[in-house]
Amino acid sequence: MRIRIVLAVVGYLLLAVGTAMIVPAGVSLAYGEGDALALLASAASTAASGFLLSRVRPKRFGDLQTRDGLAIVTFAWVLVPAFGALPYLFSGALPNLTDAYFESVSGFTTTGASVVTDVEVLPHGLLLWRSLTHWLGGMGIIVLYIAILPMLGVAAMQLFKAEVAGPTKDKLTPRVAETARVLWGVYLLLTVSECVLLLVAGMPAFDAVCHSFATIATGGFSVKNASIGFYDSAAIDAIVTLFMLLSGINFALHFAALSGRPGAYLQNEELKFYAGVYTAAVVVVTVAVSASGIEGGIGSAFRAATFNVASIMSCTGFATSDFALWVPVAQVVLLVLMFPGGCAGSTAGGMKNLRVVLLVKGVTTSLRRLVNPNAVIPLRMDGAAVEKSVLMQIGGFMLLYLSTFLIGSIVLTESGLDLVSATSATATCLAGVGPGLGSVGPMSNYAHLMPLAKWALGAVMILGRLEILTVIVVFYRGFWKA
Amino acid sequence: MSPKSILAVLAFIILAIGILMASSVLVSLLHDGKDLVPLALSSGASIVAGGALWFVLRKHRNEVGIRDGFVIVSLGWVAASLFGCLPFVLSGAIPSFTDAFFETMSGFTTTGATILTDIEDLPYGILYWRSLTQWIGGLGIILLSVAILPLLGVGGMQLFKAEVPGVTVEKITPRISQTARILWLVYVLLTLLQTLLLLWAGLPLFDAVCHAFTTVSTGGFSTKNASIAYYESPAVEIIIIIFMFLAGVNFTLHYRALKGEFTSYLRDGEFKFYVLLIVGVTVLVFFGIPTLTSSELGWQIRAGLFQVVSIVTTTGYVTADYELWVPAVQLLLLLMMLSGACAGSTAGGIKLVRVIVLLKNGLNQMKALLHPRAVIPVRHNGRTVGQDIIVDVLAFLVLYITLFALATIVMSATGLDMVSAAGSVAATIGNIGPGLGSVGAIDNYAHVPDFGKWVLTFCMLTGRLELFTVLVLFTPSFWRR
Repeated sequence: MRIRIVLAVVGYLLLAVGTAMIVPAGVSLAYGEGDALALLASAASTAASGFLLSRVRPKRFGDLQTRDGLAIVTFAWVLVPAFGALPYLFSGALPNLTDAYFESVSGFTTTGASVVTDVEVLPHGLLLWRSLTHWLGGMGIIVLYIAILPMLGVAAMQLFKAEVAGPTKDKLTPRVAETARVLWGVYLLLTVSECVLLLVAGMPAFDAVCHSFATIATGGFSVKNASIGFYDSAAIDAIVTLFMLLSGINFALHFAALSGRPGAYLQNEELKFYAGVYTAAVVVVTVAVSASGIEGGIGSAFRAATFNVASIMSCTGFATSDFALWVPVAQVVLLVLMFPGGCAGSTAGGMKNLRVVLLVKGVTTSLRRLVNPNAVIPLRMDGAAVEKSVLMQIGGFMLLYLSTFLIGSIVLTESGLDLVSATSATATCLAGVGPGLGSVGPMSNYAHLMPLAKWALGAVMILGRLEILTVIVVFYRGFWKA
Repeated sequence: MSPKSILAVLAFIILAIGILMASSVLVSLLHDGKDLVPLALSSGASIVAGGALWFVLRKHRNEVGIRDGFVIVSLGWVAASLFGCLPFVLSGAIPSFTDAFFETMSGFTTTGATILTDIEDLPYGILYWRSLTQWIGGLGIILLSVAILPLLGVGGMQLFKAEVPGVTVEKITPRISQTARILWLVYVLLTLLQTLLLLWAGLPLFDAVCHAFTTVSTGGFSTKNASIAYYESPAVEIIIIIFMFLAGVNFTLHYRALKGEFTSYLRDGEFKFYVLLIVGVTVLVFFGIPTLTSSELGWQIRAGLFQVVSIVTTTGYVTADYELWVPAVQLLLLLMMLSGACAGSTAGGIKLVRVIVLLKNGLNQMKALLHPRAVIPVRHNGRTVGQDIIVDVLAFLVLYITLFALATIVMSATGLDMVSAAGSVAATIGNIGPGLGSVGAIDNYAHVPDFGKWVLTFCMLTGRLELFTVLVLFTPSFWRR
């Protein structure tokens, strides 16, 4: 690993983030609000730091190696949120470092867990920056999927075989740019489409932009305290539901569809699983919620179920009702859904449906081998054979994921949270959803947590977003050896 | 698949249950005799039904294939529970069939979850039978885990194939009986030893026998409402801690120790992991128990150790209400419920050897990330673990978690709160007994709706039989051909 290259790349990223901060500063000036100065100061300090850091770049850049890539990603997701927290600090909206960093990490990891108790009093510039962190984070995730995750094996290996070219082993630079451009195109197109539709449905322009940013990135920050529930509009609910679901799907499939092959959706096993789980969960939640009568009749229960299940599965974290008050069975369903999360190659978090599908197939082969001990049962995914070693990679990932969940939960209960709040807070931050259950439900927030708990959750968000292995491997002593 | 041979073996199991049940008639005679008639009736019915069926089908008992094995094992526990619950129903101790079946399945699977609100109210014969079901269950589990499941290749069980000397792989039947006989001897010895020690510590003979039955089988049924806390005796608690611990160790290690190879404990990776886990968690739990006064320091250490060992070995005795401890401790205990103790013991749960294999595989994946071309095998106890076995172990974990999640959803639908729902499922799949929330240490399962009791009964059975054995019956490919 070459530290100078790593630092230089992080420097370029900071330069870009600093530049992006000018946009909310401009909006703030347009509204004539007091946060313009704070945003401009943050933009200047971020860009300046980025510029200085990028100066350490060696003469010959050469090709990025596996280890460089892993280090860049981890450093970037730790450092960029630190600078992204500056506007909150400078403006005094979140005066202490813990809160500002938590909010910023939550933004860049597209989680959407918030420590802001009253979002609606924030000035427009800050609100836009808050949503923009999601959107920038989402762009970063797409690159992550193309450039870094293929090295981690399954998560991306097969995903881009549909048209978008994958990187060659050990060399990240070639073709990554091309693939990234294509998928950023899809990302941008989805954002613009949602924004237009929300405008048509009657949402104010500022809200529409912010919510589109937060939807496509599957983030979940809203500009209203009651989240999307504020608008109480069936049309808006429907639009946001649709785009949350779309953002939870492999972007390569969207690209294939845009290139005239909509059939790609139907041939994808992961998508079938995603759709199946969504449908089943909506049915169970609708029945449970309408039986308890908390949302009114079956119609409104159905609407609440379609929205909130989509929000959890795509790891967005918007809410239209306080599902922390629903009957236990609906809450358990939502909590369970946080684990598989969305599809690989999307901006959604969680363990990813692709991995779950492969694990289920692994179970099936094991069961079949029980009855036919001598049979050789191949593992297939989307028609292609999958090697056993891939399953073992997923096994390693699953174990890390669950361990992170358990350790995080123990730390949170240790900080004084009850069992339900602690486990759901960890699960939701690990998957990048946002709201949890209990005292961190969708109509509550994370402000009341102890600083230790906030830092722990911040770490959990970064771990979850970077598929854990990416981060942990940096702490592995073998990583720093030549 | 040959239904006749399946029935023949089941008939034999029922006959054996009936004969063993006869011993509780004797206990009843020696005490108040209040439950003499129902016990004698139940025992007689089981002997007659099982004996007659076995006599008719006895020629078929040797035609057992792999598929038959799965059916026999799954239905064996069901048949035993059906006949085993007769005394409860006939004596009126547990009038509802659902409750009686739940209690008996909890016995034979050595779970220890109870629907009884006042245990001390039961007559002696019934109490003895309740404890005996767990002891019999333990016998069955030893047979299952060291002989039958590795043979069937369930969930990576090949990992801990019985390594009893003098046993060869070739012949199935002699191997099963020989291995089982050796390990049953260890089991009986442990039971006798514990009974003697408990007598020495001042327990009445009846209590000593019943508790020895349910300790060595890691069952957890007590004859007292307050469980082991009733005796308020450090000696009793320490004896029980030791025997719960021993019951959670792979029995083949005990056998080797009896033969003089004491070092085999220390050479076993799973044993070392087991000891470290108990020590580590006890230290953590110790700090989570609300401190009262310094004079109670001894109690605090004992209470922490007792609860941790009781849960990690999936026994389920209690000496303190762990739900009053901090939430972090409860979460740790929930984690122990899932992990369980060593394979080849009478304990339930995922089993530590699987945890070890999965941890090592996880570590390997990290190394592989940095050295993509290196092939690093997973090793356990000095031997390489094959890919197929790792995939099996992984599949086991996935099934375990899936069943846990789905059953928790179903249990919460019956009206239990989230913590109780998750706690009840963890406690029954792992065959522990007491869970968390409304089914916690000092509560019982009486208030769970009937439907929920059946779900939990299924969890007990499935968890006890290492998931695959039962779940494979629900796959289409099992019934094909």
